[in-house]
Amino acid sequence: MDNTNAPKLLTRIKEFFVKKAASFKKNANIVRELVKKNVKIQYRNSAIGAIWTILNPLLNMLVMYFVFSNVLGYKDDKTYALYLLCGTITFALMRAGTTQSMTSLVNNRGLLTKNKISYFVFPVSNNLSAVINFAFSLIALLTVMIFVAFFNNVFEIFSPNLLLILVMVPALFLFSYGLSLILSALYVFFRDIQHFYNVFLTLWTYLTPMFYKVDRFANSEDLSAKFITAVINLNPMYHFVEFFRDAAYRCAENTQFVANCGEIINGVGTSEFWGELVKTNGLQKAMEMLETAQMYAPLPGAQEILILYGWGIGAFLVGTLVFLLTRRKFIFYI
Amino acid sequence: MELENKTVQPEEIKAEDVKLENEAPSTEEDDIVIDVKNVSLDFYTRDEKVDNLKEFFVRLLRGKLERKKVRILDDISFQVKKGESIALIGHNGAGKSTMLKLLTEIYEPTEGTVKVKGKVAPLLNLGAGFDYEASGKENVYLNGAILGYPKKELDKKYQEIVDFAELHDHMHIPLKNYSSGMVARLGFAIAIDADPDILLVDEILSVGDESFRRKCSAKIEELRQKGVSFVIVSHNINEIKRLCQKAVWIEDSKVKAYGEVNEVCAEYKKYCDSLKH
Repeated sequence: MDNTNAPKLLTRIKEFFVKKAASFKKNANIVRELVKKNVKIQYRNSAIGAIWTILNPLLNMLVMYFVFSNVLGYKDDKTYALYLLCGTITFALMRAGTTQSMTSLVNNRGLLTKNKISYFVFPVSNNLSAVINFAFSLIALLTVMIFVAFFNNVFEIFSPNLLLILVMVPALFLFSYGLSLILSALYVFFRDIQHFYNVFLTLWTYLTPMFYKVDRFANSEDLSAKFITAVINLNPMYHFVEFFRDAAYRCAENTQFVANCGEIINGVGTSEFWGELVKTNGLQKAMEMLETAQMYAPLPGAQEILILYGWGIGAFLVGTLVFLLTRRKFIFYI
Repeated sequence: MELENKTVQPEEIKAEDVKLENEAPSTEEDDIVIDVKNVSLDFYTRDEKVDNLKEFFVRLLRGKLERKKVRILDDISFQVKKGESIALIGHNGAGKSTMLKLLTEIYEPTEGTVKVKGKVAPLLNLGAGFDYEASGKENVYLNGAILGYPKKELDKKYQEIVDFAELHDHMHIPLKNYSSGMVARLGFAIAIDADPDILLVDEILSVGDESFRRKCSAKIEELRQKGVSFVIVSHNINEIKRLCQKAVWIEDSKVKAYGEVNEVCAEYKKYCDSLKH
C-alpha cells in the first residue's frame, strides 16, 4: 500500500507547487498591470503629465523652505533644502502607499467579488507605485543637490554613499507594505479607520523630524524635551528619514559605511588574515580585524540598517499574519 | 430548522457517498469536469451592519454582537461531464449566482466539496475588472492579467480581441467615454478569448446590439462544438433548452429539481404558473 501511495503523494506535492507557481505568475502579472495603470493614470489629463511626479516634491519643498528656514532659524544651514526634501519624499512613499492601500480592497470590491484574485495584489501594487514615484522624486533630489553644491560650494555632499538608498528602499517598502496590510484588513471591517488614520498621519508627520532637527531637544534638561526625544526615537519613520539623509548628502558628517566596508574587505584580502585563519584561532583573528576596522571608522550605517530592516520585516510579518487570519472573511464585508 | 438539518445531514451524506462510489467506476470519473458534492454556504451577517468602531464597542459592551448565520446554499449537489452544459434556474436571490462564484473559488463552501477540472472562464459581470479612467487598451491588458493570460499571449491576442469587439478606433480613449454597450462588447471579447474548458455565464447573452448578439451566439456555438462545458444562469428558458442538456432548479437555497433540461424547465414553469394564480 505504501508503494502505491508514495508516488501519488509526490505527484500531489508536485501538483501543489505547480499550481502555486502558476497563481504566483498570474498575480505578478496583475500587479504589473495595476502598477502600470496607477503610474500612468496619476497625471493623465494634466498638461505636463509625468513631470509633475518630479515637480510636485520640488515645489512642496520650496514652500516649506521659505516658511521654515525663517521660522525655525535654519537660514545658515547650507543643506537645509536637502534636509527638507529627503524627509518629505521618504515620508511621502509611506504615506501614499498606506493611504491608497487602506481603501483598496473595498474600492475594488467589483473586481474581488467577480474574479478569483489574491487580495494581496492591491497592497503590493499600491506600494510598488509609491516606490516608483519615490524613484522619480530622486531626480528632483539630484537636481536640488546640484544646485546646492554649486551655490553653497559644498561639493562634498556627493559620495558613493548615495548608493545606500538602494539598501533603504526595500526596508521602507516592507514597512509600508506591512502597515498597508494591517490597515486594509481593518478598513474592511471598520470604515472609521480611514478618519482615524488621517489624524494619526498628521501627528506622525509632526513627530517625524522633517522640517525641524532633533538636536534642538538634544541638550535640553527640560522633561518634555526628553520625552519628545524618546518618542521620536521610537518612531520608525525617524530612522528611515535620517538614514536617507545620511546616505544622500551627509556622508562627511556621519555615515561612512562604504568606507568601512572597504576597510574590512582590505583586511580580509591580506595574506596575514588567511594565514591566521588556517591556524586554529582564525575566527578570533577575524574578530580582531573587524574591531580594528571599526576603530578606524565606526559603523553607524550597519546598526541603522539593522533598525530599518527590523521595522521593515517586523511590520511585514505582523501585517501578513493579520491579513492571512482575516482574509477569509473579507468577501462578506467588502 | 437548524437542528433538523444538522442531525439529518450526516446520515444523508454517508448514504450518498456509498452510492456514488458504487455507481461511478473510475473510468467515468475522469469525464466529470465539475463535481459539486453536498455544498452548503453560510454568510455571517449582523442584524444591522456594524462597520464603525463606536457601534462595535457599544454592542460589544452590551453583548449584542451576535452574528446571524444565513444559509445561502443548502446541500447542493450536481455533476457536469466533459462537453456537457448545465443551466441553473430559479427565482432571483435563490443562490444561482452565488453557486457560480463557488465554482470560481471566489467563495469557499462552508460544507461539502467543489471540484473543478480544467480552465474556468467566468463571464459573471462583463467589465467588472475595468477601470473607467484607463483606456480601452490598458483595460484589455489589466483584465487579461486578471483572467490569467500571460503577457505574451495577450500581445498576440490583442488584435483578435479588438476585432471581435469592433472597437478599433476607440482603444486609446478612456473607458468613461464608452457607451455601456461598447464596454460590454469589450468585456465579452476579452473573456471569450480565454480558451476555456468551462465557461460560467451569468445573464450576459443579451449584450450589445442585435448584430453583436448574433456574433456572441455564434461564438458560443463554436465553443460548444469544441467541447467546452457551460454553466449558465439565465431566465431565458428557450436559450437554456437550446444550449444545455441538464438543469438544476434552485429554490430557497435548496435543489428543488435536478436532471434532464426539459423536465426541470417544465416543472419550474409549472411552479411559476402556480404562483401567479
